[in-house]
Amino acid sequence: MNSLDRLIKEKIQRELQAKTRRHFIKDCVTGMGGLALGSFFMSCNSFLGNNEKAKIALTERDINPLASMAPPFPAKVKSVIYLHMAGAPSQLEMFDYKPTLHKLNNQPCPQSLLEGKKFAFIRGVPKLLGPQAEFKQHGESGNWVSNFLPHFSKVVDEVAFLKAVNTDQFNHGPAQLLMHTGSPRLGRPSIGSWVTYGLGSENQNLPGFVVLTSGGKTPDAGKSVWGSGFLPSVYQGVQCRSKGDPVLYIEDPKGITRNLKKSTIDAINTINKEEFNEYSDPEILARINQYEMAYRMQTAVPEVMNINNEPEHIKEMYGVEPGKESFANNCLLARKLVEDGVRFVQLFDWGWDSHGDSHANAVDLGLRNKCTQIDRPISALLLDLKQRGLLEETLVVWGSEFGRTPMQENREGQEMAFKGRDHHGDAFTMWMAGGGIKKGASWGLTDEIGFSALEGQVSVHDVHATMMHLMGFDHEQFTFDFQGRPFRLTDVEGHVIQEILA
Amino acid sequence: MFEFRNIVTTETLKKNSVKKKVSYGILLISIFLLVIFVWKMLQPSDTVDFSADIKPILNKNCITCHGGVKKSGGFSLLFEEEAFANTESGVPAIIPGNAAKSPFIQRLKEDDPELRMPYKKSKLSKEEIELLTKWVDQGAKWGKHWAYTLPEKVEIPEATQSAGISSGDSEGFIQNDIDHFILRTLKNNDLEPSLPAEPNVIARRLAMDITGLPPNDSLFSDFTAGKITYENMVDELLSQDAYGEKWASWWLDQARYADTKGYESDMGRTMWQYRDWVIKAFNKDMPYDQFTIEQLAGDLLPNPSADHLIATAFHRNTMNNGEGGTDDEEFRVAAVVDRVNTTFEVWQSTTIGCVQCHSHTYDPFKNREYYNLMAFFNNSRDEDTSEDEPNLKFYNEEQQKEVTKIYEWIAKNESQEVAEKYKNFLTYTEPIYHSHLIKKFENGNVEGRLSLRDNGFCFLNNVYTQGAGYMYLKYSSGIDGTTMTIKKDDADGEILSQFVINKTSSTIVRKIPFKKINEKLNLYIEADNNNISPKSALGYFTWFAFLPDIPEHPSAEYMGIKDSILQLLNTNTPSLPIMVENPDYRNRTTQVFERGNWLMKTDTVEPATPKSLNAWNDAWPKNRLGLSKWMVSKENPLTARTLVNRVWQQIYGRGIVASLEDMGSQSDPPSHPELLDWLALRFMNEHNWSIKALVKDIVMSGTYRQSSKNNAKLYNLDPENRLYARGPRIRLGAEQIRDQALAVSGLLSTKMYGPSVMPPQPDGIWQTVYNGGNWVESQGEDKYRKAIYTYLKRTSPYPSFLTFDAGSREVSTVRRTVTNTPLQALVTLNDPVYLETAYHLAKFMGKSNNVDTSIREGYRKAVLEDISERKLAVLKELYNTSVADFEDKPKNIKEFIPFETDTNANLAALTVVANAIMNLDEFLTKS
Repeated sequence: MNSLDRLIKEKIQRELQAKTRRHFIKDCVTGMGGLALGSFFMSCNSFLGNNEKAKIALTERDINPLASMAPPFPAKVKSVIYLHMAGAPSQLEMFDYKPTLHKLNNQPCPQSLLEGKKFAFIRGVPKLLGPQAEFKQHGESGNWVSNFLPHFSKVVDEVAFLKAVNTDQFNHGPAQLLMHTGSPRLGRPSIGSWVTYGLGSENQNLPGFVVLTSGGKTPDAGKSVWGSGFLPSVYQGVQCRSKGDPVLYIEDPKGITRNLKKSTIDAINTINKEEFNEYSDPEILARINQYEMAYRMQTAVPEVMNINNEPEHIKEMYGVEPGKESFANNCLLARKLVEDGVRFVQLFDWGWDSHGDSHANAVDLGLRNKCTQIDRPISALLLDLKQRGLLEETLVVWGSEFGRTPMQENREGQEMAFKGRDHHGDAFTMWMAGGGIKKGASWGLTDEIGFSALEGQVSVHDVHATMMHLMGFDHEQFTFDFQGRPFRLTDVEGHVIQEILA
Repeated sequence: MFEFRNIVTTETLKKNSVKKKVSYGILLISIFLLVIFVWKMLQPSDTVDFSADIKPILNKNCITCHGGVKKSGGFSLLFEEEAFANTESGVPAIIPGNAAKSPFIQRLKEDDPELRMPYKKSKLSKEEIELLTKWVDQGAKWGKHWAYTLPEKVEIPEATQSAGISSGDSEGFIQNDIDHFILRTLKNNDLEPSLPAEPNVIARRLAMDITGLPPNDSLFSDFTAGKITYENMVDELLSQDAYGEKWASWWLDQARYADTKGYESDMGRTMWQYRDWVIKAFNKDMPYDQFTIEQLAGDLLPNPSADHLIATAFHRNTMNNGEGGTDDEEFRVAAVVDRVNTTFEVWQSTTIGCVQCHSHTYDPFKNREYYNLMAFFNNSRDEDTSEDEPNLKFYNEEQQKEVTKIYEWIAKNESQEVAEKYKNFLTYTEPIYHSHLIKKFENGNVEGRLSLRDNGFCFLNNVYTQGAGYMYLKYSSGIDGTTMTIKKDDADGEILSQFVINKTSSTIVRKIPFKKINEKLNLYIEADNNNISPKSALGYFTWFAFLPDIPEHPSAEYMGIKDSILQLLNTNTPSLPIMVENPDYRNRTTQVFERGNWLMKTDTVEPATPKSLNAWNDAWPKNRLGLSKWMVSKENPLTARTLVNRVWQQIYGRGIVASLEDMGSQSDPPSHPELLDWLALRFMNEHNWSIKALVKDIVMSGTYRQSSKNNAKLYNLDPENRLYARGPRIRLGAEQIRDQALAVSGLLSTKMYGPSVMPPQPDGIWQTVYNGGNWVESQGEDKYRKAIYTYLKRTSPYPSFLTFDAGSREVSTVRRTVTNTPLQALVTLNDPVYLETAYHLAKFMGKSNNVDTSIREGYRKAVLEDISERKLAVLKELYNTSVADFEDKPKNIKEFIPFETDTNANLAALTVVANAIMNLDEFLTKS
């Protein structure tokens, strides 16, 4: 084959292949590039001068991978606050009221329910366990909420329930991964990194995707639930901590004043500009931007992470405990972060694994305490967002990796010291609130004892598709090429849950 | 056809000759038309090429509905036999030689949108339809993608000076054969190579690429002073121990090596002996074929050495799920699936994982073939147990002598075969029956281990004792006087063994008489003890094992051997998870999983390799050893290409095929296809799989030695440097950033090997559930070891490495994406580790009393370059500001430099300057 022929073939092949892959994001960037470029070069003309180098064709994302981008479709919300209760709270003590289960309390579980089922700890024939909380209908919607959540009962009309969410994973680690990355195995990007990759961040002084944890532990599946998988690692969640540096290494070393740090960064960037003039490598421009952002972040992050300056009534509303690591603090921080333009705020609260093996893990004792810990802060978060007009542009999601069985757990086939329930993924409850969500809706129905879905069963992928839809993406088109194929958050599944959309 | 090609070539031309004047353009177009005319005349026929012309159209427009996942209308274009088979309509869609009668072509031209293909999409372009028509008329010849055909012998392009516009630069450019390939493409694109990089620049680039560190002072000065040649420097660097450490970190990403098991509790485990094996293998330049065989199948080699067994830990780097309530079989299968996927990703650049659920969407791999491959890996002994068995035991010298003595005695008095079995059992304690195999029990539980209460019993089925007269049992117990009874089949069965267990101080291995029966047995195991509450566990049983009997001798020697065996079995030693194959009588059958679901098993399959790749040689055993030989057969089209492509990427930051993880019809086309094949063939045939020789070829090229200076024209034409008109300029990797800072400051420890270390990290990073592990900061020189020795906890890797794009090694990583985030700047500016390095560089700078000299020396030490006056002025200003600041607030000096008592404003200011130098782009980048 002569070289001309090869060139032609190479080109045809390249073009066709480029089209085969769904270069959605790339197109988006190129599309924006022209616009963004002008402003960029205006800002750095000072050192580029009018020489040849100014003509390098760059997109804003070449310089700043977190540059904000418009979604491909009109979005209902700008930001997401995702509240994940790690360990799996019992829907049967919180939202899914089952009077029949009460009547069947202590009855052996019918064999028909157990056949073909695998449980994490239940062995043999367990007994049914009636609801350990009292339920009432609340608000105009008349949705059921238990007495474990007295504050939340008052804001129940703000949210839309999904009562029959389904997952096929019944161990914490894999189920959390599925819930946050769309796959029970490691290696896929989390929802937050997909969103940050697709939209960038509105505030260049703060990370675009922030993770806050409470309950003393990180989630079972580790950092992968906010990892970036095969997406560039710049899109992974940044864990902001209540103790120590809020972001690792954000504080200046002792003895270094802010002014001196400013001088240091100025010196670094002046030399980097010299270096750019010599090498014309746009990576150097990205580095200059990176150091400027780091400097600004050093001020912005401690500022946004400081809740002391909030008015007393706000602190009281959330029930915050400054200086500690608490879910209440994190809810208030979540509001502050979305207010400042952070794209995705992920909260994890650990301690919901009510097996009945201890006081803390009893559905009638420890679970009630956990509910008390989140009841006020969550209600305050919804109200606070609402009073600031932020709720309409924020999506708040509450949920966990799975739910719990209507049966009482009988570890090793033996009666346990406390009342507990085993892991159960067939039908559990989640809720969403905020922009684009039908207020007071409830979708999905479980059977009389809350074991299986009767109607309105939705999958984890459906939940993801719905979140993506609200953020302005078609989950089927939002893909990333890796290992020779386009990957997406919802894999090959997922339908937008229209029933809870306004 | 002519018209179509003409258009495309004109466009190519336009793109390549950017901004030529219009008249030039017209002239060139005319020349091109002439060239095309001549070319047309010279071509015997313009045969349509399946891979280049047809496959991309099919992949883009057809394969989603007519491919590996969906076969709408019973028609698929993925495999040749499917494409020409009868469709649901009863006739084939493609009739070779007759496009007019082929429904495949007819449907493309339909006006009725209900009938036209692609269904409900816009019509194919006229050109595409013409190409497809022509292809069918020419006989619809199917073709293989280049990646699945063997590399062919490639002629090295001749240096055609006449083609060049100016030839001056390119003459000095050519240093070896690689450059001919590069130069031809450059010329075709109207580009000229760049000038060679300055000696100091190339010395730093080279040392970073080969050893991950800047060159040491003497090597650097010898080269820059012209005392040694460039090649001398290359050879010297390749012979340094740091070479193995640098390249091992690349391999360990692919091997998903880590110090913990992963998943929920992410407990620690000992894997570092494998890391050391990799370093040593690189340093002794183990040929890549051997490197492959030992890691995939070292245990199956004849008389495997300890090193062979250590190598197999490659596939024990899979995660192990210790979360309560998980099914060990589910995660054993997950590990096997990971091994299949990783093997194909690492050696074949093929994402075989897709094929687990359906035939590959684009590439010629069938669903069933996945399970054929899985059958190779499905027979290893590991079963996701909490102890990670099988584990290789590392005995001390004396104990090892005992093992040899036992082996020799049995070989002499019984047989080689039996001796072998004892040696293996002492070396890695296999084969054993884990108690988690027990599925049915009463008054007891199986949660990892078996526990039985009073009147408790359970069933362990399908046990083959090989007719042994003894059973080995690993157990522990907290109470005395439990009677254990093992019966055949059930409670009424024949008693096979009865014994009493008492309180043990720890978990022990005991040898217990057992009835000799040479057939597969179902064991009924019972525990009785009336002296204790029925709620208490009487014992915890880990495994059961049987070994063929050895002749009982009345001699003292025999008694010694007998005792010694038990003693060794009860000896705790350092250990490493390894691969061990099942004995024949315990072979697992492998079944196809319906839609990838491991619980829905269908057809049974045998080990086999994909049909579209190289043929199987019947001389190879049908196990992992055979598979590894198939992989390194010179007939395999992917192994050598994959390796050379990835080594190239390590050096240039981009592969010849940019999608490193995928070579197939969806991968990026190679930028230099002939060069890829030439390197692959040379690697196998001339270098005999030597990676050092390959690296040397690449770094000796003029292509590599070019200056990395860019300019607007070059950047706009080739932003990613895929044509190599300039040298590589890439930010250093996570490991190199740390190691360079330590090296430049003089803190770096060159201590090699051993358990992983824990350099300082902020408090509160480790917060894993159900895991008591703590980060215990290493002391002394272990604080300053190279990054490769840093403890890697999968759920919580070393934070500053994570920030610089190192992964968590939960799954195999073929390519790290290089990103740029403000968090990286925070690490190198504020992390105490980096401040300490800055302080030590400052101390070096402070040897001079002249600030200018100090800064010059520090910059030179760090960047290996003389500082320009302008940069010097900037740093001097920073120094002056700092001195003033510290003199103004002397309290800050002590706070900033807590390392020493004797400090002053000068040293503190120099530390600020050193910190700035160590944050410069030129420091963080290999240019």
